[in-house]
Amino acid sequence: MKERAFITLTNGFKDKLFRLAKRLLVSNEEAEDATQEVLLKLWKNKNKMAEYKNVEAFAMTMTKNYCYDKLKAKETANLKIVHSNYKDKQPSLQREIEAKDNLDWVGKIMNSLPEQQRMVIQLRDIEQYDNAEIAEMLGINETAVRVTLSRGRKKIREELLKKHNYGVV
Amino acid sequence: MELSNIEKLLEKYFEGETTISEEKELKVYFTRETVPSHLERYKDLFQYFSEESNITATKDLKLHTTSRKSWYTWVGVAASIALIVGLFVTNMPLGQDENLGTYEDPEVALQETKKILNMVSQYMNEGKQELVYLKEFENTKNKFIK
Repeated sequence: MKERAFITLTNGFKDKLFRLAKRLLVSNEEAEDATQEVLLKLWKNKNKMAEYKNVEAFAMTMTKNYCYDKLKAKETANLKIVHSNYKDKQPSLQREIEAKDNLDWVGKIMNSLPEQQRMVIQLRDIEQYDNAEIAEMLGINETAVRVTLSRGRKKIREELLKKHNYGVV
Repeated sequence: MELSNIEKLLEKYFEGETTISEEKELKVYFTRETVPSHLERYKDLFQYFSEESNITATKDLKLHTTSRKSWYTWVGVAASIALIVGLFVTNMPLGQDENLGTYEDPEVALQETKKILNMVSQYMNEGKQELVYLKEFENTKNKFIK
């Protein structure tokens, strides 16, 4: 396979890999690195690519595994680095800030979920894969996907309700 | 879409039983400007989902790491070959120089040698004249140290 063909093929799902990695690792930089690593690995094994039924799903699984390894390494390193991806916020319309804040809040809630739920919601609600594809990517069965999805969504709803009722949590 | 329908869909959504197209309907509904107040809180959620799907990776993919590495090794090989060849060539004895300035006639040779030696001694003497000052130095020293 030629380089150009590979790049056009992977461009189709590169951003999805990035978003999944970002969902799991939180940090932008680490997610970029993860995406690079996964694509490089895929490129090195390009001869086997014809054997894979679904390259995209395969790459997603690779990303998931890579991120799990990273997270595990971080845990054992006994060092917690909190990534916040600082951005300077230009003062603008109050409403706009508020809306942005609310969306950030949803992101925070989502990132506080267990990894499995986080991934399933990411793949389903953001990337819009169907349950069968998600099951294949994560190596679990479809029922498990549905249950995890429901649990995650309910948890988000619960947290949103709390926020809505008290204003601050 | 009717409100009751949306509420039904939401219920299904939280049970994880909606289809992709139903979820799309929900997304479309909640990204509109006006939503009834009791559903307001879900607006953020669906807006977040649709916004998150627009995030893109900024770095471009680089596939050249391996080929660049081999390129470096080849440069190394070429450089070492150039070095070895260079050493070999400069150490090689150059072609014999035939003209060493040899004189065939012993008479001429003698005269030439004399000329050269004379010249050397002349420069020697010229140089030695300058050494007179050293004596002066010695004299002055002796004035102070007796």
